[in-house]
Amino acid sequence: MTDNALLLGALATPLIGAILALLSARSNRRQRGIGLAAGLIAWGFAAGLLAQVHEYGVQTYALGGWQPPYGIVLVADALGALFAFMVTTVMVAGLLYTYHCRDKCMTYPAFLPLFLLMEVGLVGAMLTGDLFTLFVSMELMVLASVSLTAISDDQFGLEAALKYILISSLGTLFLLLGIAAMYATFGTLNMAQIAQTLLTGERPFLAPAAALMLLCAFLLKSAVFPFHFWQPDFHTTAPTPVSAMLSSIVVKVGVYGIFRLVTLLFIEEAFLLERLLGVLGVIGIIFGSLGALRTYNAKRMLAYSTFAQIGFILVGIGWGGTLALVGAIVYAFNHAFIKSALLMLMGVVASYTKVKTANFAQVYGLGKKLPPLLGWLVLLGGLSLAGVPPLNGFISKLALIQGGVDNGDWVNLIIVVGAGILTLMYMIRAWQQVFQQAPLPSTAETKPAGDSLIAPFLLITICLLLGTVFAEPLVQLISETVRQMLDPQIYIAGARLGNGG
Amino acid sequence: MIEFMFALAIGILFGIGVFQLLRRDLIKAAIGFAILFSAINLFFLAAGAFEGEAPPYLSNVLAGRPTSDPLVQALILTAIVVSFGSFSLVLGIVNIISQRYDTVDSNDVTQLKH
Repeated sequence: MTDNALLLGALATPLIGAILALLSARSNRRQRGIGLAAGLIAWGFAAGLLAQVHEYGVQTYALGGWQPPYGIVLVADALGALFAFMVTTVMVAGLLYTYHCRDKCMTYPAFLPLFLLMEVGLVGAMLTGDLFTLFVSMELMVLASVSLTAISDDQFGLEAALKYILISSLGTLFLLLGIAAMYATFGTLNMAQIAQTLLTGERPFLAPAAALMLLCAFLLKSAVFPFHFWQPDFHTTAPTPVSAMLSSIVVKVGVYGIFRLVTLLFIEEAFLLERLLGVLGVIGIIFGSLGALRTYNAKRMLAYSTFAQIGFILVGIGWGGTLALVGAIVYAFNHAFIKSALLMLMGVVASYTKVKTANFAQVYGLGKKLPPLLGWLVLLGGLSLAGVPPLNGFISKLALIQGGVDNGDWVNLIIVVGAGILTLMYMIRAWQQVFQQAPLPSTAETKPAGDSLIAPFLLITICLLLGTVFAEPLVQLISETVRQMLDPQIYIAGARLGNGG
Repeated sequence: MIEFMFALAIGILFGIGVFQLLRRDLIKAAIGFAILFSAINLFFLAAGAFEGEAPPYLSNVLAGRPTSDPLVQALILTAIVVSFGSFSLVLGIVNIISQRYDTVDSNDVTQLKH
């Protein structure tokens, strides 16, 4: 198998876009155009990659011509290509929102380069076949998102950024420590080679400790229960397009890492890890849903809801069968579109207020002065998040519950179904408060114009399509992905170790 | 002996780093972050530094002498660049915080708690 340039294209296009945007810092309009173009091209590469992976199997690209296991290799298997496709698709919507956004921070020359660098980090983390490159990509993503939140229009952005970078750098350090432990025991950082050694049943001294450190770092990136406390602040204060990306795809990097841990690297210990993940997931579902129910700010409500939704994915991983894994991946895929759409919609609502805010007290009854389409989109998005047909949320709930029934874990199944009702409660309540009630004296003054609705409209349309026309192809695609994930030999053989020609 | 001293140094640096990172003073926390990163870089170095007896030059490899692992040094160089980037970003944020809040005591930087 030869190098597939699509991999390099998906990774390098946003990087080149970031450099070009930095070079044209004088013209904000041109910067936004470059950003959108780079996002679209990267999306094209990722879509082509997904098609090729399903046609011809695992695709690789050895960077700089250095063959694995000595050089750094980019590997796209079914899971990596699917996640990279999801990331680039949501990112196109984010760049589209940025194109029309009226926030002050969008006019800073650093905004678009940082936004594109975040995409480089995300795509790099999904497509790399090497643990150290995974670390570098995740760090790039963290630094870019911290900088973006620090320059937010929200006055608390700086404080949230400080909070996140201190906690996240501790997580990053543990990731690096885990990677160093992996290198000390296996003498390589190539994931396929480590998986090959682990498959033989050999368990070197430091391997379990390294697995736990990697797991903690991934849990921290996904804001799962013991490491969740930074997440609502950070996701609430970020600029709208950034918070839409953070809550939908940035948290999926940790989920992706966990998938790799339990299906590629530590398959024998997966049972133990999965039991832990199931418990953490249930805690996340309960606290996230209850937190979303009693919060005072629409964006904060959605951030808490992300906490709960990641819990659903973890419960799916915790069940561990084929059907449950399909459910978890369908859930992760669909949630990215729903949550980014909802956060953008709430950002549009907030952009109509004079002093930009999404506090329920100030946006109460604001809906009468907003475009009517906005209200319907919020309602559709909320129903989708709660798992009501005909949107894609229903498909993901259905797939997940099927996995639970297959597993026979009735306690967690009841919690999953019950939490769906809580989701419905807080989403419908938010919709009613903003769009159905008469304004209160505390309601904020409105501006004549706000952000454009194009990007969230596009995302809700994708949700609708994924829930109806493309529901069956999606589930089939993901079933095929899970079939390939459960056989680590496919990944190992695809990463073409040792044939160093 | 040198290996034991190396391990001890890594352990002490790690302890100081964690202690400093958890301090109330944000500048001390930032410095603790840098110390912690050095400790982990040294740990990385320990993974490959004690294997051979010669530096990993091509001439030594061709002469058949056992060389130490060059890859860890390349990895540490990358890790140093990453740590430098994050360290300067932390310091930059602390700098703006100190101007905006007139303090670097993390107990007083609590506007998010309302």
